[in-house]
Amino acid sequence: MTVAVAFENTSRHFGAVVAVDRVDLVIEEGSFFAMLGPSGSGKTTCLRLISGFERPSEGLIRIFGEDSNDIPPNRRPVNTVFQDYALFPHLDVDDNVAYGLMVRGVPRGRRKDEAGRMLELVKLGGYGRRKPSELSGGQRQRVALARALINRPRVLLLDEPLGALDLKLREQMQDELKAIQETLGITFIFVTHDQGEALSMADQIAVMNEGRVIQTGSPREIYEHPRTRFVADFVGSSNVFPPEVSVSFGEAEAWSSLRPETVSLAPPGTGRVDGHVVSVRYLGASKRVTIAVRDHLVAAIIAADSPVPDQGGGVSLVWPAGSFHVMDDD
Amino acid sequence: MRSERKASVLLKCAAVAGLLFLHLPILLIFLYAFTTEDTSYVFPPPGLTLDWLAVTWNRPDVWQALGLSLRVASVSTVIAIVLGTLCAAAVSKARFFGRETISLLVILPIALPGIITGISLRSAFNILDIPFSTFTIILGHATFCVVVVYNNAIARFRRLSGSLIEASFDLGATGFQTFRYIVLPNLATALLAGGMLAFALSFDEVIVTTFTAGQQQTLPIWMLEELVRPRQRPVTNVVAMVVVVVTFLPILAAYYLTREASSSRST
Repeated sequence: MTVAVAFENTSRHFGAVVAVDRVDLVIEEGSFFAMLGPSGSGKTTCLRLISGFERPSEGLIRIFGEDSNDIPPNRRPVNTVFQDYALFPHLDVDDNVAYGLMVRGVPRGRRKDEAGRMLELVKLGGYGRRKPSELSGGQRQRVALARALINRPRVLLLDEPLGALDLKLREQMQDELKAIQETLGITFIFVTHDQGEALSMADQIAVMNEGRVIQTGSPREIYEHPRTRFVADFVGSSNVFPPEVSVSFGEAEAWSSLRPETVSLAPPGTGRVDGHVVSVRYLGASKRVTIAVRDHLVAAIIAADSPVPDQGGGVSLVWPAGSFHVMDDD
Repeated sequence: MRSERKASVLLKCAAVAGLLFLHLPILLIFLYAFTTEDTSYVFPPPGLTLDWLAVTWNRPDVWQALGLSLRVASVSTVIAIVLGTLCAAAVSKARFFGRETISLLVILPIALPGIITGISLRSAFNILDIPFSTFTIILGHATFCVVVVYNNAIARFRRLSGSLIEASFDLGATGFQTFRYIVLPNLATALLAGGMLAFALSFDEVIVTTFTAGQQQTLPIWMLEELVRPRQRPVTNVVAMVVVVVTFLPILAAYYLTREASSSRST
């Protein structure tokens, strides 16, 4: 597998602030890669290091093996879909999309054909003569996507691509982005603070916090085997237990995570620990039950049709052996 | 209902009176361009004639003054557009030590009374041994022309999102292409409006000019001199009339140009 982008001990300081802290990261060609983290975790700075709008204070970024530290943004095989789309307000959709070809001196006729093809790809055929101000938010994003793809970049960067869209549009765009990435076969790297988005779209995720990459892996690895408490907290609505609680539950004395969907309910006295029901929330096909065990809350996600005692009722909790996942304490 | 109607009639009267107060003097200037009486302004004019147009046309001093004014206004406007745009770009897009101070210093000349600017420029030219000429008038005018261009440009720069410029680089454009295809088109109407205002300010400037001019006369100074001479007075009125007509056209054009641009940019 070819490596598209590699961070080699890369740091970026802004004065005393360390935005990116000694990051080592390998992003393979053709992958759909997510950089996931809370705001201020350095994920957008990482994106700007790849696009070339920031230079590493230390270390380097390789793009297809080449040290890119001295390559300016306009000569990198990388294009960006900006968070605010950054469409040129004085140009119509056609000219926006064809801009990358225009500045490279491609003749007008070919530019128009190519722009038309890109607009078809993002399902905006026939919108070429409109101005960006005449488009909806979702349409603007499609134009930004077509514009970034027209130069046939080897890597496409997307900065919070779905952040400004409403829920329905967001789900639709997730599917479409995934489909476009599979059609073109190029590397997509996107930045998001939404773990759901990262888990459903990406095939590789890097979880970031305070300028560092905490864990990289497939969505399944990240979700099922969070390496640290931070990842467990941030990535999913997992149960996180301190060492003393883990021990009292009969498990190893260490910070541990327990996925709510592995927990099931049994009559009092028959399971591993006893507690009482605090709340029940319906989630459609399932429901989320919160149970107090001594003074610790445990969440369980069970099928919507399984019986649950009333609030305050006693239950016992059951989980398969090996469900507890031991994590680093940080 | 009744009182409301009364108030609106009153308001109409006030509005008409206000407009007359503003514009009647200008109409009177037009009227006296055609009077037959050439030493004093009597009302009503004893007779009307078109002779003064021909007289004005044949006066070389009018042409000289007009030529100088146009030259000064054009050159200081060009200087103002170049310097004002560059300065606005620096102040709005970069962070550096003394940024706010520079912004203040650029705006200061318009807040300063013209007489202060005039005196300080005059003594500066004296100290530096620069002879008074067209060049010194242009420098004097450029000090306040830069301000209006700067103010227009900086307001537009602030609205121009930084990611537009980054997007252009990202798509492969060079710095020059980004300026040519992205920055300039978004700045154009602001520069047009600023440039016209600068031109108009320079064209009728008197105070700074009296301090920085040598023997030459710009049009406003020529008019001032002409008014105290009791001979061929209507020539001044003819010149004033032509100036009003000629300056009104570009202002009208600018108004329609910027209006169309802003209505099609509604977001």
